[in-house]
Amino acid sequence: MNNEIFLKNLFQAYYQESNKDIPSVSMLDRREFGFLLWDNQFMQRHLGFAQLDDLRQFLIKKSPKHAYSSGSLYSRPDDNDMENKGYQGCDFVIDIDVDHFYTECKNDHDLWYCKECGTNGKGIIEKCPKCEKLKITRIAWICDKCLDIAKKEIIKLIDNFLIPDFALNVEQMNIAFSGHRGYHLKIVDPRIRTLTSDQRREIVDYLTGHNISFEILGLHEKTSIFGLLKDNKGWSNKIMAKLEEILRMDPLEIEHFLRDPHWGNLTALRVNSLLNYREDFLEIINGKKRSIWSIEGFGLPTWKKLLKAVVKKVGAEIDEPVSIDIHRLIRYPGTLHGKTGFKVQELEYNQLDEFNPLDESNELIDPIVFKSKKQITQKLEITDVKVPATKIKGITYGEYDCGEIIEVPHHVAVFLLCKGVAKIV
Amino acid sequence: MSISYELVKHYPWLPSKKIHYSGIASKDPVDFIKEKIAEYPDGELVDRIFNIFKTAFENIEEIKTYKADELNVYLYTILKILLYINNSIPIANRVANLYSKHTYNKLIREDNDFNLYSICKDLELEIEYHDKAVPFGLIVEKDRRQVLQTRFSIHYIDYLRLASNLRDDYRKLVHNALIKGFVLIEKKDLTRLLQEVVRKKLIIEQTKDLSSLDDFKNKILEIKEMRELNERILGEWELKKEEFEYSFEIKYKKGEKVEESFPPCVEDILMKVDEGQNITHIERLFLVFFLHSLEIPIDEIVNLFAKLPDFDRKKTEYQVEFAKKKGYSPHSCSTLKSYSLCMAMKYKDKLCLEGYHSKKLDSQRKIQHPLFYVQFKQYRKHKPKEEVKTKTKNE
Ligand code: SF4
Ligand SMILES: [Zn+2]
Ligand SMILES: [Zn+2]
Repeated sequence: MNNEIFLKNLFQAYYQESNKDIPSVSMLDRREFGFLLWDNQFMQRHLGFAQLDDLRQFLIKKSPKHAYSSGSLYSRPDDNDMENKGYQGCDFVIDIDVDHFYTECKNDHDLWYCKECGTNGKGIIEKCPKCEKLKITRIAWICDKCLDIAKKEIIKLIDNFLIPDFALNVEQMNIAFSGHRGYHLKIVDPRIRTLTSDQRREIVDYLTGHNISFEILGLHEKTSIFGLLKDNKGWSNKIMAKLEEILRMDPLEIEHFLRDPHWGNLTALRVNSLLNYREDFLEIINGKKRSIWSIEGFGLPTWKKLLKAVVKKVGAEIDEPVSIDIHRLIRYPGTLHGKTGFKVQELEYNQLDEFNPLDESNELIDPIVFKSKKQITQKLEITDVKVPATKIKGITYGEYDCGEIIEVPHHVAVFLLCKGVAKIV
Repeated sequence: MSISYELVKHYPWLPSKKIHYSGIASKDPVDFIKEKIAEYPDGELVDRIFNIFKTAFENIEEIKTYKADELNVYLYTILKILLYINNSIPIANRVANLYSKHTYNKLIREDNDFNLYSICKDLELEIEYHDKAVPFGLIVEKDRRQVLQTRFSIHYIDYLRLASNLRDDYRKLVHNALIKGFVLIEKKDLTRLLQEVVRKKLIIEQTKDLSSLDDFKNKILEIKEMRELNERILGEWELKKEEFEYSFEIKYKKGEKVEESFPPCVEDILMKVDEGQNITHIERLFLVFFLHSLEIPIDEIVNLFAKLPDFDRKKTEYQVEFAKKKGYSPHSCSTLKSYSLCMAMKYKDKLCLEGYHSKKLDSQRKIQHPLFYVQFKQYRKHKPKEEVKTKTKNE
């Protein structure tokens, strides 16, 4: 059978069975909806639903591959012309997706292959090491490690920024597992809805620490280097508190952080000077000594490099354009993600900590909806060059090579089919 | 909460005006103006309005005739009507800049915290006043140590609404102390935000519905005094406008007019400056470095900036002189491109987009630096004559 028809039928069965569980979103009738259907590459946008039931019926009827709704509110959400839609404001949407930032585990499970010469390997590369061509296809995968990192980012965002700095409460946050590589958070607050894209960018900079100027925070050189102060409220405090935390780690860990090209990227020599100076520096941070930063080999540029790495630790890795653009569509909660077959799962703040998308024990919030009690299996043939190993529900499947015939449980089969790396035999 | 009658006379843009002067809004504008003109037969009303325009056109930062009296309230309303009917963005910007700057200077002298607080409340800004000053930072420099503290904080939504327009880096949210939804803000910075509120109240958007605007305009200008006043204003504007077209004479090397040879990236910033729009720090620096390179006198550069909403003469003088001393050269095209300041596409500038043909290298070359653009244009100005000569020779 054709993969797409097979999947569409499954999606349809899900939407029939779980129809009453598809949740509503606030002011549903003023949201624009968009869908990608199985037999059409183009997104069907500019749809509107007067009530939740209409949406539910649509989902049963069309059983789309992907389903989205707008963060924005419109008086005429189904008008094709943006000008005539009657924009009324937009929720603040945050997307955290491991696709957009570095995680160490990607070196283990992300694959690439060269379309020119067929060479393949693990990790992330720019050009083929053999033929030097840039025709690289990436197979980005997921694992519990990177999903856990994404989860920690969203918790950090809530605990370190949204609650203490923006005084938002968890009832105003709609949190969801995206069904693939990350989490969404929608802030529902009538006042935030009024912000322009420029103003949203300011919030984004605040959440990420991007475009921060250390000079404005006080870093300057006047015969000696004067550093940032922990006593200064705002980002100075965040940076210095984090730096202190880092300096109190095990020296080996400190070194790892400072040397890693994705973080400090400092030379061994400089790392050494910093380690030697550690105790003094901790005293400075805590105001016991004047804030003159003098470490051998550390000029302003080196300090900035170090501070930048700290900023990256403090800030949340959010996908900026999603929060800035006011006409974006985001995945609708309760619907299925066509690239995994997982459900976009709404979560309470207090469920986040324990939540484990690939092996969730609480049935009510388990995004893996196609697991069967009767242990049905499915035969597949691998169609992609290589398929990384995947651990789902505690069992590891793969790696697989092209042409391999495998028999896997139903929910794993759905995942591999959705990923587009296998076909039904 | 309504604000005192007295305060409205000082700051006639306050929303509470509606309560104390409920008559203004309910009356037909024509009747209202006629009534007020009759009330002040000595021409004070008209003179004071004219003076605001004149001052604005002359780029002076203070309205000498400003008085916190009842007339001030009526005058403000009529001023707004005039800005509306003339439907000219540059005029409105200029008046908005002057009026808001004047307000800033007035507010900054306001040593009564309660007044400032009431004004914010009246504007429906979500503001907190702390009984005890809250310390939020420390400035430590070589021989200076200063504690930063304030009694005011403002909700971040209101803060963003007003500050994001100002574009100063230090006002960015990420550089400020945001605690429990409120940004701790020093009085002078809060006042600067109020200046922005006032500016926004006066600027206009070009009206698209010209026919109803014309109807209204004709009605207003049927009043003899208003017609005369408006003619005086527009006359003054015509007079000054020519000076504004880059109100400085640029001389480059042998007394040549160089501004005709400016590249689009510079033109664009000058246009914004000329319209009194806010410009970013980078834009400002670039412009200063660029003008320095052409040896434009310092006071001409400073005067140029006088049109900006946040102009501070002393500060600007210092910055411009400092830049001169340091002798920085202006940014290159590639740097400008990375800041999205290259305007080659926007202005479809042929020289920028296509480059020029270099005889020496016998190849097409790209413009790499705005200063080279000027040089090239200057050079080209003389070239046609030579070319004509060569042609005749060949024939
Ligand atoms: S190409 Fe260079 S000179 Fe021309 S507009 Fe761009 S930055 Fe300015
Ligand atoms: Zn290759
Ligand atoms: Zn991973």
